[in-house]
Amino acid sequence: MATLEKVERITEIKAWRGEIPLYGRYTVGIAGERFFREIKDNARIMGTKCPLCGILYVPARLYCERCFSKLEEWVEVPPRGEVHTFTILHLDLEENHLEKPQILAFVKLEGADGGLVHYLGEVEPEEVYIGMRVEAVFRPKEERRGEITDIKYFRPIGGVATPLGVD
Amino acid sequence: MPRVAIVGAGMTKFVRRAQETAKELAWEAASMALESCEMTLDDIDCVVLGSAPDAFDAVHMKSEYLSDGAGAWGKPYIRCYVGGGTGVFAVIQGWYHVASGVFDTCLVVCEEKMSSCMPHPQGAFLTIFDHTTERPLGPNLLWIFALEMNAYMNRYGLRKEDIAYVTVKNRRNAADHPCALLGDPNITVQDVLNSEVLAWPVQRLDVSPISDGAVAIVLAAEHVARRVTNKPVWIEGVGWALDTAYWTNRDLSYPVYVEEAARMAYKMAGIKEPRKEIHIVEPYDPFDYKELHHLEGLLLADRGKAPEDAARGRFDRDKESEPDWLPSSPSGGLLGVGNPIAAAGLMKVAEIFWQLRGEAGKRQVPGNPKRGLAQAWGDLMQVGTVVILGI
Repeated sequence: MATLEKVERITEIKAWRGEIPLYGRYTVGIAGERFFREIKDNARIMGTKCPLCGILYVPARLYCERCFSKLEEWVEVPPRGEVHTFTILHLDLEENHLEKPQILAFVKLEGADGGLVHYLGEVEPEEVYIGMRVEAVFRPKEERRGEITDIKYFRPIGGVATPLGVD
Repeated sequence: MPRVAIVGAGMTKFVRRAQETAKELAWEAASMALESCEMTLDDIDCVVLGSAPDAFDAVHMKSEYLSDGAGAWGKPYIRCYVGGGTGVFAVIQGWYHVASGVFDTCLVVCEEKMSSCMPHPQGAFLTIFDHTTERPLGPNLLWIFALEMNAYMNRYGLRKEDIAYVTVKNRRNAADHPCALLGDPNITVQDVLNSEVLAWPVQRLDVSPISDGAVAIVLAAEHVARRVTNKPVWIEGVGWALDTAYWTNRDLSYPVYVEEAARMAYKMAGIKEPRKEIHIVEPYDPFDYKELHHLEGLLLADRGKAPEDAARGRFDRDKESEPDWLPSSPSGGLLGVGNPIAAAGLMKVAEIFWQLRGEAGKRQVPGNPKRGLAQAWGDLMQVGTVVILGI
């Protein structure tokens, strides 16, 4: 098998350059439309509840994936929950060092089966722990566009505390 | 080998732009299919998803993305993809899941949401050509259809107006389909001939529309099928074949891979004289000439004679008196119902299912057809997929 150490000048070797010239335009769908309008207009996080399985899906879905019921019971979920797991990001997507590391967390929302992945704010990396109680910080209404980033980040409830049984 | 039947079917409307997500479309079709045979997800042993290139939904790993809408939660699940041939191949794949004896039931779901693909799904087709010998020329999918159509016309001295009649027939048939995008009871051959030339000889109305939609069917092994319904529609034969990927090394005037797939399916179904034993047919019709091309490949028309047969009404839905009458694309086909790629292929199978059960409503073909064939075609114009159904 022939190999190339590295390809520096594409014009001098038998290689080709190409791209797939596409971009996507996605609808948020029937359930997504209402879910994001509630965030945009009312700063509310909504779920839908399955009448058979009892699961409260957040973000809201149109159907239950387990039993295929159409979900028509919309339930407001408190914009708070706890950190189920988290990571501290040190590099951006181009591998540049971030000046200030970012905290990305999977936040399980209170009363819901599931939650959201989002950034944490108003907290330092060394202060975060699994199980930390956090709440959503919404952007001001005039800045909200019906997107997940209408939630600026989640922050610790009542400031930073230490986990029970620690310290 | 257990016999396998189709026991239920459902489909969404085919539209230009759906608000529903791809998942929601898949769920809608899949739940309709289950409801049609009074089954629930609990009754389903495994799930097969058919969907064409990831690029059409603009979602990477479509199988994983669509799994919940297809009802695959907690079940053995697989996606198949053979380009335009996917919709019929998904049925074949579902069939061998059940025919193997491993599963008693299989939900087969096909979905495509092409409106997500921007600026146009043609952008996805630009990259299916060979990157060094063809892509530098800036090819477009229409090119190969135009080259193939011209080769076909020239080989047999075919008239454009005879080919155009397929669009007229299918759009008129589609006017009776509640899910159709382009049904038109008043369209004429002259309308097709007057439409804009895209890449000669292909004109605007020779082509099916890009669309969004989903279709689903439920397959069951004989012992389950007989319990679920008193009108099972049996899968009597399946066939599929692939020609070389070098499309410039093929005879474009005849789809030999369709013939190979058809012969495999006829043999399995014990069919010796297809023109007598097949009563209705849904050949793949992304372009009007393709329906004719495929009818010849399926051995249901003489080579080069399908256009003339079409023009005299041999393939019309209601011309029972016509010699060798064979209703073709009674649904309205891709030209009339729409062409959400994989979903369009499965729509053809669903149409045969409804026709054989006498449930096709205004589209019902007279004469109580007992056996039908659905066929799709795709990849870089070299895959043929065939399913034969009977009651």
